[in-house]
Amino acid sequence: MAHEIVMPRVDMDLATGRMGAWRAAEGAHVVKGETLFEIETDKAAMEVDAPASGVLRFVAASEGDVLPVGSCIGWVVAEGEDFVPPVTSPRAALATPDSSARADVEENDAVYADAAVGLRATPAARRAARERGLRLADVKGSGPKGRIQARDLEQCAVGEPRMLSVNREWLRRGEGAPIVFIHGLCADLNGWRPLFRLLPETRPALAIDLPGHGLSPLGEEASFDALVDAARSVMIEEGATSAHLVGHSLGGAVAAVLSQAPGVKALSLMLIAPAGLGEETNPAFFDGFLQADDEAALTPWLNLLVTDPASLGSALAPATLRQRTELPLVAAQRRLTKALLANGRQTIDIRDCLAAPRMPVKVVFGLEDRITPAHHAENLSGLVALHRFAKIGHMPHLEARREMARLIVELAGAGAA
Amino acid sequence: MGARELSYAEAIREALAIALAGDERVFLMGEDIGVYGGAFQVTGDLVDRFGEERVMDTPISELGGAGVAVGAALTGMLPVYEFQFSDFSMLAMEQIVNQAAKLRYMLGGAVQVPVVFRMPTGSGLGGAAQHSQSIEAWYAHVPGLKVVEPSTPEDVKGMLLAAINDPDPVIVFEHKLLYKMKGPVPEGRYETPLDKAAIRREGRDLTIVATGVMAHRALEAAESLANEGIGAEVIDLRSLRPIDKPAIIESVKKTARLLAVYEGVKTLGIGAEVSAIVAESEAFDYLEAPILRLGGVEAPIPYSPVLEKVAVPQVDDIVASARRLARGQV
Repeated sequence: MAHEIVMPRVDMDLATGRMGAWRAAEGAHVVKGETLFEIETDKAAMEVDAPASGVLRFVAASEGDVLPVGSCIGWVVAEGEDFVPPVTSPRAALATPDSSARADVEENDAVYADAAVGLRATPAARRAARERGLRLADVKGSGPKGRIQARDLEQCAVGEPRMLSVNREWLRRGEGAPIVFIHGLCADLNGWRPLFRLLPETRPALAIDLPGHGLSPLGEEASFDALVDAARSVMIEEGATSAHLVGHSLGGAVAAVLSQAPGVKALSLMLIAPAGLGEETNPAFFDGFLQADDEAALTPWLNLLVTDPASLGSALAPATLRQRTELPLVAAQRRLTKALLANGRQTIDIRDCLAAPRMPVKVVFGLEDRITPAHHAENLSGLVALHRFAKIGHMPHLEARREMARLIVELAGAGAA
Repeated sequence: MGARELSYAEAIREALAIALAGDERVFLMGEDIGVYGGAFQVTGDLVDRFGEERVMDTPISELGGAGVAVGAALTGMLPVYEFQFSDFSMLAMEQIVNQAAKLRYMLGGAVQVPVVFRMPTGSGLGGAAQHSQSIEAWYAHVPGLKVVEPSTPEDVKGMLLAAINDPDPVIVFEHKLLYKMKGPVPEGRYETPLDKAAIRREGRDLTIVATGVMAHRALEAAESLANEGIGAEVIDLRSLRPIDKPAIIESVKKTARLLAVYEGVKTLGIGAEVSAIVAESEAFDYLEAPILRLGGVEAPIPYSPVLEKVAVPQVDDIVASARRLARGQV
């Protein structure tokens, strides 16, 4: 049986993908699950595995091509199989917006069953699901032929108010303890992609959208504990209970608390410009960032994060604004900011978590950080390694990504795999 | 004090009389509009009141008559040309579509063509295939024209006066079944906008968008649906070019369901445009059911009165479709 290879969706903001290198040539034997090709976006490079074992045939894209998500870029056919691809790929239009960036299209039915793409739901129901963070796949439809109507979501929201999903994405799957990436306040998991592409291919990696960020809705409770709970649940659900934790800013504080939490085991801890080491922060940043509704208003606030604006990339501002119009994130992030800051000062404190760490810990600061000042890292335990970068702001993982990649390798390599 | 009532035909005549009396540039043209009083007795006694120079009988040549009207409009007159049946306007297409609609654009705005074409439209009087068509959508497809279809005596008076005053060519479709319909009509001169739909009835469960006589059938259907507990919102489009998109979009955002009803042939008709307006707008995300259309059958209008009724949407058809929509059966 022939398996189609399609351009996967790696980012909800993107309708196209840029082909990277093929890892196999036309006519080569490929093995299911092994990396078949790479794709590139403004933010990341990503590997896509072979959907099946067989021979790579009818390769229809080469490195540098920009193709719509769902485009057919080749086929894996069985050895000796007499197969001619259809003129128009029947599956192209149905390509699953698969957040794990894998082109698994083993069976026609799988494409339908998996994603909201194949579900019967009215536009109003889809909108309600988007806005309230419900998974349509979990909802039983009461309309004709089981179509999901908006009222079906109302009932489900009343009956089971906790049907909220926390978005997560395996940046890479594989054997061994994964690295778990946790982003900061007002960011999302996409922010890890530039760093991730510099990491060696040995470790699996899981990234989480904290509630109220990216594709994760915020539940009833806007609190730091709810964020920690959500991240912990994802690790347990994904079988990533033993992991190297990497957190940035608020995500650093989440990671630090997770390292002490029951049910999960932190093999190492990397805290990048973490929150919770002191009270001081920059409340004006959060106000301004969340109020900005166009690129001109947003850019100065984004630039406050770094010393060199170029390190943010040109896609960040438009992507942030687009997300705001499509998802009710601003309100959620306002609620969280209100919960996490009191009179403009941080309310969370992770210093106890770092007093006598059982795992290797690195804390990283940029000396020009204008959100969480670097001097917060003074007076930490001697067991905590402190890395300080001159001329770097609040985003070392973007501004000094090569160095950060090296530090992560040092740390994750030092942890018990 | 009850408002004064006029028939739709009387309201048109009153509008024409006000325009003729108020502006010497206004004059009427058409076949048999003088002594005979018009094919549907709309112009009536206007020839006696304003004379044959201002209420001009034209030869049986729609192309010639429309051409004279367009030419007169170019020179600054305000002609109102009556077709006996909108079907016959096909003979004058060249003047309406190629000349009247184009000249202001092609001459860089140096000229205006303030002509009005009145077109009796629709079926229901046993006129058969060549005297019963609804071709509003044909003209509404042409940039440079304004196309309206008033459904009440009050609207036809106000829209006709607005059309005569409008600097661009305006086609006023008048459904033949409406000519005898009576309704309140304000005294004196007033204008009704040429670009605004009217919400004839409010409802929460579905939106029915209709034109002309179909607006009346939709209202009758809405009465019947109300007895079943279904609240239908009825939008009378009134204008087909420009079409009042915000009215449609806002209504569908409220009701989540849309039924478009029109007498013209269903395929590629007004309902297709109404549906697309919703599908392309933010109202799409509010839909709870597929959009439905009720239009004329894909055949010429038959002569047989029984078949003639079957050929275009009737009240029962509207009730049945609306019920299926509102009850979640589609």
